[in-house]
Amino acid sequence: MKFSENRIYIDQELCTGCKRCSQVCPVDAIEGKQGEPQSVNTDRCVLCGQCIQICSAYASAFDQDIAPREQKLSERKLLPSVKEPLFAAYNEGKAPEVKAALADKELYKMVQCAPAVRVAIAEEFELPLGSLSPGKLAAALRMLGFNSIYDTNFTADLTIMEEGNELIQRLENNGVLPMFTSCCPAWVKYVEQEYPELIPHLSSCKSPMQMAGAMFKTYGAQVAGIDAEKIYSAAVMPCTCKSFEAARPEMNSSGYRDVDAVITTRELAHLIKDAGINFADLPDESFDAPLGTYSGAGNIFCATGGVTEAALRTAYEVIAKEPIPNVDLEFVRGTDGVRTAVVGAGDIELKIAIVSGLKNAVSVLDSIKAGKTDLHFVEVMTCPGGCINGGGQPKLLLPADRAVASEYRSASTYIHDSSIEYRKSHDNPEIKKLYNNYLGKPLGDKSHHLLHTKYTARR
Amino acid sequence: MNTFIMANPQKCIGCKACEIACAVAHLDVSVSTAGATALPFIPRMNLVRTPYITMPIQCRQCDDAPCANICAEGAIIHRNGINIVDDDKCIGCKKCMVACPFGMIDIRPKISNGELESQNGLRIQTAEGEQAKEVFVTYKCDLCSGRKGGPACIEVCPAGAFTTMDHSQIITDIRKKRLAAALDIANNQKK
Repeated sequence: MKFSENRIYIDQELCTGCKRCSQVCPVDAIEGKQGEPQSVNTDRCVLCGQCIQICSAYASAFDQDIAPREQKLSERKLLPSVKEPLFAAYNEGKAPEVKAALADKELYKMVQCAPAVRVAIAEEFELPLGSLSPGKLAAALRMLGFNSIYDTNFTADLTIMEEGNELIQRLENNGVLPMFTSCCPAWVKYVEQEYPELIPHLSSCKSPMQMAGAMFKTYGAQVAGIDAEKIYSAAVMPCTCKSFEAARPEMNSSGYRDVDAVITTRELAHLIKDAGINFADLPDESFDAPLGTYSGAGNIFCATGGVTEAALRTAYEVIAKEPIPNVDLEFVRGTDGVRTAVVGAGDIELKIAIVSGLKNAVSVLDSIKAGKTDLHFVEVMTCPGGCINGGGQPKLLLPADRAVASEYRSASTYIHDSSIEYRKSHDNPEIKKLYNNYLGKPLGDKSHHLLHTKYTARR
Repeated sequence: MNTFIMANPQKCIGCKACEIACAVAHLDVSVSTAGATALPFIPRMNLVRTPYITMPIQCRQCDDAPCANICAEGAIIHRNGINIVDDDKCIGCKKCMVACPFGMIDIRPKISNGELESQNGLRIQTAEGEQAKEVFVTYKCDLCSGRKGGPACIEVCPAGAFTTMDHSQIITDIRKKRLAAALDIANNQKK
């Protein structure tokens, strides 16, 4: 099967061959000798973008024999107005394409933002690391000209409804266990290429971004009273692999390509600057109902352990048939590469593993392959700490700031969670409405068609 | 004798983290992310790459400094053991740039209070009319004078390639060499 050209590039003119990227690459995809420009093995690469985050080989004012900046910006598909230094490792942008779509009056522009964007984008406007800015983010998107300011957090709640019920179904019907989370596209690609025999463990749920894509051009079109053909569906993600996911050929269950373009947090900052919007001074605005209403559970997807915590807040109540005693499940939070927990719900003891950083998944996967675990649920986030430290997030210039940013972005994520009226995905009133008015029930026929997917062994 | 910073080409991996840390340390605004500033990146050191070695080159803080001695404006002064440029006196004449035997003086736009400073008199003539022209000044390593944590390049280097060369360190090294030389001569005489 031919997948898209979405990939990670290393600029041969800029790479000095220091090989620090190969130290953070979780899949040994970076090839080349020390001191020579490196290249990316696209079969192995999972497009997590950690190499982009660590790369310090930038186009310096001292470099005379390199292509002009204008040419590099154009090759990287970045806006010509971008002022930041250019580094050797990069992903191709989509901001010029989104800018053109925003100017197209024939299109109805819908946008979604991943939870991690609101705890990091302010950093690109000289605000403190980890500043929480969902209100400014919504305001900026509206000023840019998007017609519906929707949210990936809404479909994170929807993911919990589907994935939580899928887990319960697997538990009740002796299904394949442990079930793996499927919201991280780099993790999914990794399983497909390195552990294809474990594909049945992956939840069949699409990622929140792809669920949103499928809902925009169906339910969203119905709500807006417009033809789905006119909808331009954009996603703002902390991730360099989401472009790859959106381009997977099966991601067209709305009858169209579900997500037309994915831009990173950094590229949204470029668009905001390009439009002359003063982000730091924007008033707080809201995301639009119905597909932009979210619970705290949907918001914590971006931190390691967050998907698990959100799932438990719902699964506990479905299994135990009583409210969860405390929604703040501190025991699944943390920063260790592999964390395990046992959670009692009704007469079931759920055994859970949470993996932060794809390198740490190997030991868990090997023990599952060897039949040596009795786990029920495994969450894997490719980027250490989760999506808050994704490859598309603002790039820290100094290594010492990385740990600080990670800590503050994570703290803001949970602060936001605790300040939202609804803390559990199943309490989100728009989720209830969506099931009542459109989808029917979790794992129902319509859900199956729009919200679930299949995977491809890549060897 | 002036203290200076020197990198070891055997240890340097060529990552340029030092150039970035240097540029960031000398911006007079706090910048954390690559996208946060539109200001030009102006490091006071340069990673030199050849097919055989990589090594950052920076000011040697010469004790008899050609840059200072040739400066007609007296803009390079010696303060607290470091040769420092006085931006207010520098006129961007480039004599120091040419005189520096290490090539580690550069003339770049002056940044004050997080903005590029424009000249009062000299304007740029363009098709769209006259435009402000930036002030250019001399940039050289100042050993991160006044920075908490000392020189940013040393702090950031993942390979530990930098050494602060101060008088006592050089004297200690020289004594070791003298001792080695003496022992060598003595041993040869025994044979």
